[in-house]
Amino acid sequence: MAIITISRGSYSKGLEVAEKTAARLGYRVVSRDLLLEASDHFHIPEIKLVRAIHDAPSILDRLTHGRQGFLAYIQCALAEQAVQDNLVYHGLAGHLLLKGAPHVLKVRIIADLESRVAAEMQREGISAAEARSLLLKDDDERRRWTQSLYGVDPWDASLYDLVIHIHKLTVDDAVDFIVHAAERPCFQSTPEARRKMEDLALACRIKSVLVQNACYNVAVASEYGNVVLYHKSSGTRTLHVDPTIKRKIETIPGVNHLEEHSGMPAPPSAV
Amino acid sequence: MQQLTPDMIMVLVMIGIAVFLFIVEWVRVDVVAILMMVALPLLHLVTPKEAFSGLSSNAVVSIIAVIIIGAGLDRTGIINRLVEPILKLAGRSQSRIVIFISLTVAGISSFMQNIGAAALFLPAIQRISKNLKIPIGKLLMPIGFSAILGGTVTLVGSSPLILLNDLIAPFKLKPFGLFEVTPVGLALVAAGIACFVCLGRFILPTPKAEEGSPAEQEEAQPAQLWEDLGRLWELTTPEDFTHYREPVTVDSLRRRYLVNVVALTEPPDFKIMGPAPQQEVRSRATLVVFGQEKDVRRMAQEEGMTLKDNIEVFKEEMLEHASGTVEAVVAPRSPLVGKTLNQVGLSERFRVTPLTVSRQGETFRADLGELPLRVGDSILLHGTWEHLQILHDERILLFASPVDAELMRPEKAFFAGLWLTVALVMVIVFKIQLSVCLMTGALGMIITRVLSIDEAYQSVDWRTIFLLAGLIPLGIATEKTGTAAWLAQTVLGALGTVEPIVLLTVIGLLSTVFTLVISNVGATVLLVPLVVNMALAAGTDPRMAAMVVGLATSNSFILPTHQVNALYMGPGRYRSVDFIKAGSLISVVFMVVMIGMLYLFF
Repeated sequence: MAIITISRGSYSKGLEVAEKTAARLGYRVVSRDLLLEASDHFHIPEIKLVRAIHDAPSILDRLTHGRQGFLAYIQCALAEQAVQDNLVYHGLAGHLLLKGAPHVLKVRIIADLESRVAAEMQREGISAAEARSLLLKDDDERRRWTQSLYGVDPWDASLYDLVIHIHKLTVDDAVDFIVHAAERPCFQSTPEARRKMEDLALACRIKSVLVQNACYNVAVASEYGNVVLYHKSSGTRTLHVDPTIKRKIETIPGVNHLEEHSGMPAPPSAV
Repeated sequence: MQQLTPDMIMVLVMIGIAVFLFIVEWVRVDVVAILMMVALPLLHLVTPKEAFSGLSSNAVVSIIAVIIIGAGLDRTGIINRLVEPILKLAGRSQSRIVIFISLTVAGISSFMQNIGAAALFLPAIQRISKNLKIPIGKLLMPIGFSAILGGTVTLVGSSPLILLNDLIAPFKLKPFGLFEVTPVGLALVAAGIACFVCLGRFILPTPKAEEGSPAEQEEAQPAQLWEDLGRLWELTTPEDFTHYREPVTVDSLRRRYLVNVVALTEPPDFKIMGPAPQQEVRSRATLVVFGQEKDVRRMAQEEGMTLKDNIEVFKEEMLEHASGTVEAVVAPRSPLVGKTLNQVGLSERFRVTPLTVSRQGETFRADLGELPLRVGDSILLHGTWEHLQILHDERILLFASPVDAELMRPEKAFFAGLWLTVALVMVIVFKIQLSVCLMTGALGMIITRVLSIDEAYQSVDWRTIFLLAGLIPLGIATEKTGTAAWLAQTVLGALGTVEPIVLLTVIGLLSTVFTLVISNVGATVLLVPLVVNMALAAGTDPRMAAMVVGLATSNSFILPTHQVNALYMGPGRYRSVDFIKAGSLISVVFMVVMIGMLYLFF
C-alpha cells in the first residue's frame, strides 16, 4: 500500500531489486514504459524524452525550455501511475518527480565501482578502462542533470529514506529491507496521502497544458483542487497566463479554483 | 391696495437669488440658507435678532432633540427591533418597503407633527437601507413626501390645518371637523405613494459613483470586491460529523473549499467569533462562513452540512452594527512586511478572519497563509467591530475604511424606551411645547448614558439645522415687509370674477408658491383671510377656499425648504435638482387630486 521509488546508477542492480520488491509485494513496476506512455500521450518521439531524462541539459536547452517540457510530460505520466498506488518505480529522479506525497518510500541502490565495471564489461564486451570511463561519464552526466534541474546532488543520502549498498548486502537483502520499510505505518497510503497524490497529478496535468502552450517559468501547486500558478520571475510586475489557456485549465476535471500569484516563491510542493 | 415698496423689491430679489442658488447649486443649499441669514439683516430687511431666530425656533430645537432621541433608540437596538416586523411584512422588495413604511409614516404624521414622524423614522430607514443594500436615496424621498402628505389626513396633522379653525372663526363660518379633510388627505397619500411606486425609477436619483464624494467612491470599491467574494452563510454540521475521521478544523475547511469560517458554536451553545485556524468543528455545531455560493454549496454537500436560508443562530452577531468587513493595507515600515499571514496570526491574536489579499489588482484567495506580505497589500478582514477596533489600535495595518465601531448598548434599551415615552406623554397628555418635551427626552437619554453627550452632538446633522434656520428669516422678511400680502392681493385682484374651480386652483397654486418660500404657517395666516373674502365676493364656498389653503400649504416638494425635505436632504445625499424633478411631478399630482377630490366631495 505504498509507492516505492528506486534510484540507481547504471549496473547497480537496481532493476533487479525493483522487480523482486514488486513481485514480493504484488506491486506494479514502472520504468522506461513510462516514457512510452508519455510519448504516446503527448505525441513526442521517445528518444527526445530519453534524452531529456538522461543527458545533462545543454545551453540550448536552457534557452528553449525543451527539456522542461519533456520533463513535465514524464512527471505527468508518473503521477498518473502513482495515483493508482501500489507501485515500484525505478529510474532517474522518481523521488524528485513525486515530491510532496507523504507515502513515497525513496530508495537509492548503489554498488561499488569495481562490480559495476565488471558487469558492464560482461554486457558490452569492452575493456575495463573503457567501461570505467563510460560509467564515470554516465554518473557525471546524471549528477549534472539533477543538479541543473533540481539543484541537488543525487549522491546526497539525505534525499532518500534508504540507501543500500549492494556489495556485502545482496539483492535479496535489499529487497527484505525495502519490503520491511514499505510496511511501516508512515508509508501506508492514507486518504490524506492519496489526496496529496491526486493534487500532484492534477498539478502535473496543468503543468503539461502550460508547457504545451509554451508557458514555462510557471510553477503549479494544487491543494484540494484549488490551483495556484506561481510565476517564477517577475520582480514587482504582475504576470498573467493567457486567458484562453486559463480557460482550458479551468475545464480540467478536479480544478475547483484557479488563481495566479506572481513575485513570490513557489512552495516546495509546486511542480 | 398697498404699493410696491423698495423693501418689497429687495425681498423679491433675495427670494429670486435664493431660488436661483438652490437650483444651480453653486454653493450647497445650507450655505444658501446661511447667506440669507446674513444678507437679510445687512439689508435691514429683518432685525439681527430675527435673522437668527431660526436657530432657537421651536421646529429647529425639536429636530435637534428628535435626532438625538433617534440616535439613542438606534444605539440600543430598539430601531432594529422595530424594523424587523416591518421587514418581515414587506420582504426585501424595494417598492413594498416604500409602500409599507410610507403608509406607517403617513399614519403617524396625520396625528403628530410630520417633522417628528420623519425624524423618528430616519434611523430606521437608514438601518433598512444598510441591511438590505438599497440605496438610501431610493427610500428617503418617497417616505419624506408621505410624511408631508400624511399631514393632510386629519385636522391636527399639520400646523396650517390646526390653525384653520381659528382663522375662519372671525368670518362666522362653521368650524371644520377633525376628519373632514380625511378623504382628500387619504387620496393625496395614495396618489403620492402610487407615483413613487410606478414612476420611482424615473424620478428618483440613481446613485452614481462619480456623483459621490471621493470618500464615498473609495467605499464603493471594497463593496465590489466583497460581492465577488461571496457573502455570509449559516450551516449546521450533522450528528455524525466527527465520526471515523480526522478532526475538521477551520483551517482545513478554508484550504479545501476556500470558505472562511467567521463564527462557530461549540456545542451545546458556546459561541466563538473569529475562530482560530486550528479550532475544531464539532458535530451539531453551527457555523457562519464567508464564501462564494458554489464553494459553500460544495462544502455543504461533501461534508453533509445543512445550509440554512438565513442566518439564524448568529443573527445578532452578524448584524451590520455588530460585525463587518473592512479592508486594511500593509503600511510601509509595518512589522508585517515580509511575514506570512500564518506567522502574523491575525485570527489567533485579534480574532479577525482574513478573507482575501489583494495585490496590484489581483485578488488572492487560495493559499493565503503562506503569502509573504508586501507593502501595499490590502487584506480584507471580517470580524466584530470590537475585535477590528483592537487590531486598528495596534497600528500594524492601515484601515482603508473607518472601523464602523458604533458600539451598541442593548442593555440601555429600557432607558431609551422610557425617555421616549416620557417625551411623548409630555407632548400628548400635558400639552407642553414640543421642543421642551423632546429636549427633556434627549437629555434624559444622555443622563442615563444611553449615549454620551459627544455622540449626541455627532448625531446631529448641521446641514439640516442651518438649512431650516436660515430660511426662517426669509419668511419673516417676506411677511414683515408686506411682500406676501402684496403678492396675494395682486394675483387675486387681477383674477377678477371667475368660475369657482379656477379660483380654487389659483388659490392652490398661490399657497404652493408661498409655502415654498415662507413657512406654511405664515402662508396660511396670510392667505386664509384674503381667500375667504375673495370667495365670498365670487360666490364660492369660503370654507372650501380656506381648506384649499390649509391643504396646499403642505404641497411643498419642489424645493428642499420644507422641514421634512430639509431633514432628509443630507442623509439621502439629494441635490436640489432631485427635488425639482420628483417634487414637480408630485406637486402637479397633488393639485389635480386635491381639486378633483374637493369638487367630488363638497
